[in-house]
Amino acid sequence: MLFWQMAWRNVWRYRRRSLLTVLTIALGLSFDILMRAIGDGYHEQMVDNSVRAGIGHMEIHRSGYQRDPALLKTLPDLPLLERLVPQTPHLRGYSFRVLGDGLASTAENSSGVRIIGIDPGAERSVTTINRAVIAGKFLDDRMSRPALIGERLSQSLGARLNDKIVLMVQAADGSMGAQLFRVAGIFRSGSPDLDRGVVYLLRKDAQSLFSLGDGVSEAALLLDSSQSVAQARQFLGSRLASARVEVLPWYVVEPFLQQFIELDDAFFYIIVLILFIVISVGILNTVMMSVFERVREFGVMMALGTRPRQVVRLVMQESAVLALVGAVVGAVLGSASTILFAYTGIDLSSYAAGASVLGITTTVMRPTLTIRNLISSDLSVVLVVLLVALYPAFKAAALRPVEAIRHV
Amino acid sequence: MAQIELIGVSKTYRNHVAVRALGDVNLSITRGEFAAAVGPSGSGKTTLLNLIGAIDMPDNGVIRIAGLEVTSTAPGRLAEFRLRHLGFVFQSFNLFPVLSVLENLEFVPALRGTPKRERVERAEGLLADVGMIELRNKRPDELSGGQQQRVAVLRAILSEPDVVLADEPTANLDSENAALLLDMMERLNRERAITFLFSTHDPAVMNRARRLVRLKDGRIIADETRES
Repeated sequence: MLFWQMAWRNVWRYRRRSLLTVLTIALGLSFDILMRAIGDGYHEQMVDNSVRAGIGHMEIHRSGYQRDPALLKTLPDLPLLERLVPQTPHLRGYSFRVLGDGLASTAENSSGVRIIGIDPGAERSVTTINRAVIAGKFLDDRMSRPALIGERLSQSLGARLNDKIVLMVQAADGSMGAQLFRVAGIFRSGSPDLDRGVVYLLRKDAQSLFSLGDGVSEAALLLDSSQSVAQARQFLGSRLASARVEVLPWYVVEPFLQQFIELDDAFFYIIVLILFIVISVGILNTVMMSVFERVREFGVMMALGTRPRQVVRLVMQESAVLALVGAVVGAVLGSASTILFAYTGIDLSSYAAGASVLGITTTVMRPTLTIRNLISSDLSVVLVVLLVALYPAFKAAALRPVEAIRHV
Repeated sequence: MAQIELIGVSKTYRNHVAVRALGDVNLSITRGEFAAAVGPSGSGKTTLLNLIGAIDMPDNGVIRIAGLEVTSTAPGRLAEFRLRHLGFVFQSFNLFPVLSVLENLEFVPALRGTPKRERVERAEGLLADVGMIELRNKRPDELSGGQQQRVAVLRAILSEPDVVLADEPTANLDSENAALLLDMMERLNRERAITFLFSTHDPAVMNRARRLVRLKDGRIIADETRES
């Protein structure tokens, strides 16, 4: 206890220097907390956008579909799936879809498209595509052969609302299918791929177009959060083990997204590393100065019988005081700034075009503060300070009392 | 039996040039002595105290303190030895500035693992004994030089070491404070049978010492014992 008292008082003996050091630690830490929160916030937003754009948190396909998608690979044992999927834990919505490729044509132009056959009611529970409609209406079962197309596709085909488009496909039976549809709605999702290359049809129309009968290509599931994926996957995986299907989480369906997040995290860690190196130099300087200004004092301590390890302990305790005070102040500053930005949002409208490439379709980003990140940042900074302090601590312990006492 | 014993001890400092600080010194001091190593600057007084205090090692010879041959003891054990057997008083006070008088006195017993309550009781008892209890919560920079040095002596003897080594303890004190300090050390020496060895060239200290070991050029040139 006496050593802790000494450590505390020794730190505040050089008040200005210690305050500057604490401020360095605190600012570095608060930057770390805010950057992690921003990173988490926009990663979460990217995942959410991708998930809500269509893939859901999980997809179920016939085995092998993900590696080699083919029209004939429809879901086996559909009744089992239709019974089991609604029981999935943390489920918020699900949609059985037909997927295929074809050519969309008007009198003016034609374009290769992805054709997605949906049940409008079910699709609303999984994606937000219904909210992206900018002209006309979202699909409705009562409509006759409606098509929902992206804004860019509409422009490239020269197809306006209520115009007719022809969809030409190679059907499951090998024949060429061609049917006429009417543009019931035009959407703008913010995703160039969707807006340029997707046509939504009613599921029954798509099944007819592709001659699939009652077959569907996939089930997309939306959960309450991406944290629930493991539990939901385990539930379905164990019950569908023999059903010749693959239950895939979003990060397998969209590996690019996961890889981007990992790459982004790697860049972030490099920045944090540089930040911690800068903090370390500051700490090293402070602790070294503190040790060299007290060489005589350490000499007296050792002459009185203080063991070298106790000298190490004292210097480490002093560094721990700096680190802990800095960590508390930094956590408060970092949390406060994160909460502030989460409340006000960070306006990205100037970078909207670039952001949409990354899957961010909203123009206001909100950082996400998590206790896990807060603790991890705090522990990191305390650990870095203590590691850096080891050198001056051992230097102090290696002093020879007879020389240290003579030190001026 | 000798509490401090030096046999053929030599020490040479080698920096830019070799300087012999002590040469073939033989000395024996028994328990309860109140002795002073005296001599001009550079005579080897401080080196002698440093060697006896096990904070420096001789080039040759054997040193035994309180039954331990410190010259053949591993450096790692010497800190423990100093803690258990020796007390130090330095020329320029060297109290810990961030600790109060009471906490400075607690420092050595704390290192020895004495429980808080016991060490506070002992420290307060000693302060009361020498009439300094009102200073218990003061920091060193609130004390006069004489008060600081008396606290340093109390710190040295609180854990009842076998030997207290005091390097020029009165060098920074006026004659009145020096007398007060010497009074206190004499009393502690008498009452607790703690051996005191000073290095000094202060006549006031020499007059009080019951044994004078005179040094010149690193050699003992006279060893006088006087009746108290």
